[in-house]
Amino acid sequence: MAPRDSTISQLRRGVLEFCVLALLREGERYSFDLVSALGEVDGLVTSEGTLYPLLGRLRRDGLVESMWRESSAGPPRRYYTITPDGDATLRSFAAQWVRFRDSVDSLLNQGATA
Amino acid sequence: MSTAAMHPLAVDYLRRLRRAGQELPAARLDDLCAELESHLLEAIPPGTSDAQARSVIERLGPPEEIVEAEQPASATGLVTEAPRRSWHETAAIILLLLGGFAFGVGWLAGLILLWTSRVWSLRDRLIGTLLVPGGLATVLPLLVLAGTTSGGACSGTATEVSPVFRPGRMHCATVAGAGTGHTVLAIVLLVIAIAGPIFTAIHLSRRAAAAGAAVAR
Repeated sequence: MAPRDSTISQLRRGVLEFCVLALLREGERYSFDLVSALGEVDGLVTSEGTLYPLLGRLRRDGLVESMWRESSAGPPRRYYTITPDGDATLRSFAAQWVRFRDSVDSLLNQGATA
Repeated sequence: MSTAAMHPLAVDYLRRLRRAGQELPAARLDDLCAELESHLLEAIPPGTSDAQARSVIERLGPPEEIVEAEQPASATGLVTEAPRRSWHETAAIILLLLGGFAFGVGWLAGLILLWTSRVWSLRDRLIGTLLVPGGLATVLPLLVLAGTTSGGACSGTATEVSPVFRPGRMHCATVAGAGTGHTVLAIVLLVIAIAGPIFTAIHLSRRAAAAGAAVAR
């Protein structure tokens, strides 16, 4: 039986915000750039448009900040930066994620080799 | 920002987004539209082919999906916002209560709002629909009915005030006893016609408030 769509989409929804934070760790990015980068990662995003509500939540939670800026060519761009709060949240998630991933992997592999 | 340079498909997408997001708080919808307008202008520069534009829009996904992701109910639990008590539910309650006075049309509009809102359960909707259809306006025909059933030739301002309420001011040639049963029935019906819609309105607004609180939790 294939994993149900809802299970996968819930998993995705749970980790996506940390993927956004991770992309911002190296410096500011504007939303189109951010959304395109996430859209190119295999199996992570099904509808790029739904990332915009996610960015809104991160802003309201104070994990990122944003600022609209005119660009020399093309439309105004909204630049996002990670806040100290966002950075702390990302660090704690990254540590737990490694444990979680390793535990699930070890169980899945055990089943496969048995 | 001018939409003159926008690809028609992009313009259409934004229009669909606005329509789908009608029930979002205005600031949220404006914010989303600004982001997506920027995205579309960036991804579909002038001179882009229709096929390329379509592929950009396909990757974005349907506007309805974006609106759904924006709604607090589908939030991951990180958001704690004040419950959004929309005009939709408020209008439904007011129209169900008083809309009947507008030739019944107002009540029907209230009924439509009642059944299109996602706040109420089937039970709430049935209560809203069946507990005295017509709302408080049901009192009007009952008053007329009471006026005629209390029988006899009445002189006075029967069109304005029911003889049930101010029998002293009316001069009715009623045969004592014969009209009493009808009068009692009329009073009972009147009480139901007044209390029913008020109970319904209180019940529906409580349920809407409870649903709002659950969303915020």
